[in-house]
Amino acid sequence: MTPAIDRRSLQHFDWVLLGLVTCVLGIGLANLYSASSPGVESGLPPEFRRQMLALGVATVGMLVALVLDYRRLERLAVPVYVGTLALVASTLLLAPLTRGNRSWLIYGPLSLQPAELAKVGLILAMARYFHRNPPAEIRRVRDLWAPALIAAGPVGLIILQRDMGVAVLTLLIAATYLLFVRIPARAWAALGAAGVVAFAGLWTYVFKDYQRERILDFLDPSRDPLASGYQQIQSRIAVGSGELFGKGYLAGTQTQLQFLPTQHSDFAFSVLAEEWGFLGSVLLLGFYFTLLIWGLVVANNSKDSFGAMLAIGVVGMLFWPAVINVAMVLGLAPVIGVPLPLVSYGGSQLLANMVAIGLLMNVSMRRYIF
Amino acid sequence: MSPHLAGNQLPIEGRLRLAAVLILLVLLVFVVRLFQLQILDGDKLRRRSEQNSVRQVRLEAPRGEVLDREGRVLASTRPAYRLEVTPNDLSDRGRVFAALGRLLGAEPAELDEKAGSSKGSRRFRPRVLADDLDFETLARVESHRFAMPGVRTHVEPRRHYLSGSLAAHTLGTIGEIRADQLERETFQDYRSGDVIGQTGLEAQFEAHLRGREGGRNVVVDVAGREVGDPLLEVPAVPGGRVVLSLDRDLQIVAEEGFAEVPEDGSPRMGAAVALDVKTGDVLAMVSRPAFDPNSFAGGIDTVTWKGLTSDEWDPLRNRAFQNHYPPGSTHKAIVAAALLQEGVIGPQTTAYCPGFFRFGGRIYRCWKRAGHGTVKLMDALRESCDVFFYTYGEKLGIDRLAIYSKAFGIGSTPGLGLGTEASGLVPSSSWKRRRFGEPWYPGETVSASIGQGFNLYTPMQLAIAYAALANGGKVMKPRLVLRLETRDGITVKTFPTEQTGEVPVTAARLALVRRGLRAVVEEPHGTGGRARVPGVEVAGKTGTAQVVRLDRVEGLKENEIPIRQRDHGWFGAFAPADDPEIAVAVFVEHGLHGSTAAAPIAQRILARYFEKKFGGPPVAETDGGSDDAGD
Repeated sequence: MTPAIDRRSLQHFDWVLLGLVTCVLGIGLANLYSASSPGVESGLPPEFRRQMLALGVATVGMLVALVLDYRRLERLAVPVYVGTLALVASTLLLAPLTRGNRSWLIYGPLSLQPAELAKVGLILAMARYFHRNPPAEIRRVRDLWAPALIAAGPVGLIILQRDMGVAVLTLLIAATYLLFVRIPARAWAALGAAGVVAFAGLWTYVFKDYQRERILDFLDPSRDPLASGYQQIQSRIAVGSGELFGKGYLAGTQTQLQFLPTQHSDFAFSVLAEEWGFLGSVLLLGFYFTLLIWGLVVANNSKDSFGAMLAIGVVGMLFWPAVINVAMVLGLAPVIGVPLPLVSYGGSQLLANMVAIGLLMNVSMRRYIF
Repeated sequence: MSPHLAGNQLPIEGRLRLAAVLILLVLLVFVVRLFQLQILDGDKLRRRSEQNSVRQVRLEAPRGEVLDREGRVLASTRPAYRLEVTPNDLSDRGRVFAALGRLLGAEPAELDEKAGSSKGSRRFRPRVLADDLDFETLARVESHRFAMPGVRTHVEPRRHYLSGSLAAHTLGTIGEIRADQLERETFQDYRSGDVIGQTGLEAQFEAHLRGREGGRNVVVDVAGREVGDPLLEVPAVPGGRVVLSLDRDLQIVAEEGFAEVPEDGSPRMGAAVALDVKTGDVLAMVSRPAFDPNSFAGGIDTVTWKGLTSDEWDPLRNRAFQNHYPPGSTHKAIVAAALLQEGVIGPQTTAYCPGFFRFGGRIYRCWKRAGHGTVKLMDALRESCDVFFYTYGEKLGIDRLAIYSKAFGIGSTPGLGLGTEASGLVPSSSWKRRRFGEPWYPGETVSASIGQGFNLYTPMQLAIAYAALANGGKVMKPRLVLRLETRDGITVKTFPTEQTGEVPVTAARLALVRRGLRAVVEEPHGTGGRARVPGVEVAGKTGTAQVVRLDRVEGLKENEIPIRQRDHGWFGAFAPADDPEIAVAVFVEHGLHGSTAAAPIAQRILARYFEKKFGGPPVAETDGGSDDAGD
């Protein structure tokens, strides 16, 4: 048995990865301070304080995720997956209905969104499956039934929570692995057709009216122009008015006037773009996307396929919400309530993503251990 | 350990490269888009952010109207104007506040302080300097506004209760939604800061009255002024109307009755309820002391709120159905019906009243020390002889009496929907065992027969019971709302009349009791003479409920008794006596006597009712009957 941490793995600790994460987190926190300070009379803004607290918890989560050799984590993959599913399922019974969905477990001042943690369980389970059944050997659509089932667990439960945005996001994370299977093009076409038929069936026979409304609103924000149209206009003005150098920290007029309704969470990036301009925005995106590419490098250098698959899952987990969020802020996608990982306000998101980063570090620092 | 290839020979390397390319492509798209927005369109968007900004203005929906049964408006919505300043936009603070001080009649320095600093992150936040400007001030401010950038007026619909405190408890109050309410499923589409009905009808019909909020995207300049046409406007939809069964005229006279402070200066507290005996329609419902719901409409200030909640007489409470009190002799009407129906007495049965009743070694006194002599039921009701009811009530027994009290609606909540309701109390031997773990003592039946002891009524229950007595035994659910209408007057929902019970007493026996109550008002020596209405025969019963043991106030003159130790006065009535249409219950808290405090208020309500019906002249004073103080 390999000890939990040995000298060699410490020697190979991935300082580059830690540096990238620290840069993104630092920018995110500074930005959150600016975004949440309007309207605060004195002291630290409450959102900022809560996020600092969450960062402490999340850092502990990251350390836990990197201490234990990831090959031993493989054995824990199924229990973790089932455990996070149970947590999501418990929301259906325990969580109060807030703003139309049941996504939050609330205990006193603490609240947790188990769907975020379910993503970690999902990528562990997917990595374990594709470790045992290498994607390069999957050539038929029907061989995908098992991973489809693994993904259906969290996605189904999140749909029951009535949180459509998170459900789609979770599905996309699972779909990341499709890039690595060897299924011929016509099979993809067949799969797509089956999906369309299945969706049409759900639409007609299963969905309730309000669910259809939600999906339509999601696809076409102009159905509710007062809400989403306004946000897009404000976001575009905020981003564009930043110009090359930005208006300066704590000096973004759009931000400080609170033109953006959810500027500390979903529209955090517009605040950054307004106050730090093109240079600041490209810098953050540079750090973030280097982090994603670095994740792929970790996958490539991984000593075994479980590590590679785990690293791919982490990249997927960081990639999809970032793409959707930034595209929304830049007016390239409809307004969908998806936060930017590591940057937006939100403790559950931070915890889940830091645990994922811990897993990535875990794989990276044990790349030479045999 | 691994069953698969290790190291750099993973067969996924090609796909990882593809993934890296895809990720970089996405980054490229983002950078190009950022370049387009920030560099190419940057100047234009910078100018827009500095000079012209799109603001979203909420358009509050005016709350629906509340009307009385004849369509007269009780609650409506009016425009309210407030004056706001945005510190950031004030170019010359000294000059602006000097001007504003003159216009508003306020100290410039005070306004300056209220407006807050022109620096710091809050400088963009508009501050309210004056709320609910009168029209003249508004006009003056508006005509000078162009010289004062950063100053603007803002209009919003505000709840307006046209007659101030009239029917305040029924109409209820509005207020900002509380955090615990926001969590509830009912309020799913509400936001913090929204104003909702918190009590009374405002709360009960919140969904109907609320309407739907609209919004408008407008371009504003640096001074916060709207420039040009709105980019988008979704109009607010006003709320629907609620039509009540209340008759504003009766409500007014009923409240005026309580406004008359007796010469000894004691406060007039209590409640009055008038019901249509056939439909159960609530024609008037008063609770005193009251409050002005308008003070809640624009957000209640702390001083007023503290005053209302710490007031020792609890003006926010609706005494008509949220409190219950010992009914005193008004209870005798139900006892009489029970005695007749159970065969304990007939119309000719007599009792001898020497002024007291001896039972179980104790003396139970009649209110009239000299005694009433030999009395029949008719005399006992008219002059409220206690000994008659002691004698036969004890023979009837508490448990048989309880059946009748319950049948008349005492002990159960009528279900008005206006908030919590007191249930009243019908004592019985099983109740006492449950409540105190003690047996019922026969002596307690003696007291209970005249409405003392454990009996408790709400004024609403007394009205329901007397309406049932009047209409031949039907217990009607009080109906406060006739229908819901759209704001254009199209009916969307009606509320049918509802009978909730039947009194198990024959029509002939109820008629006997009614004759007795007619005598109370219409015959010489009756205790209810002050309720007489010319041209109409009135039936009723006075009641005086002891608040403290008799010996504690013995020997004191009435106006020397501390207010909280004074007896309560009751009067239950209906008219016309031979074919009743309206039943009235009046309760005057610490009013000393039913005959002097409560009966005149009932008289006013009845007089107004019949005056409206017959179109006769307003009725002023009536010559009182017996001046006997009580019962």
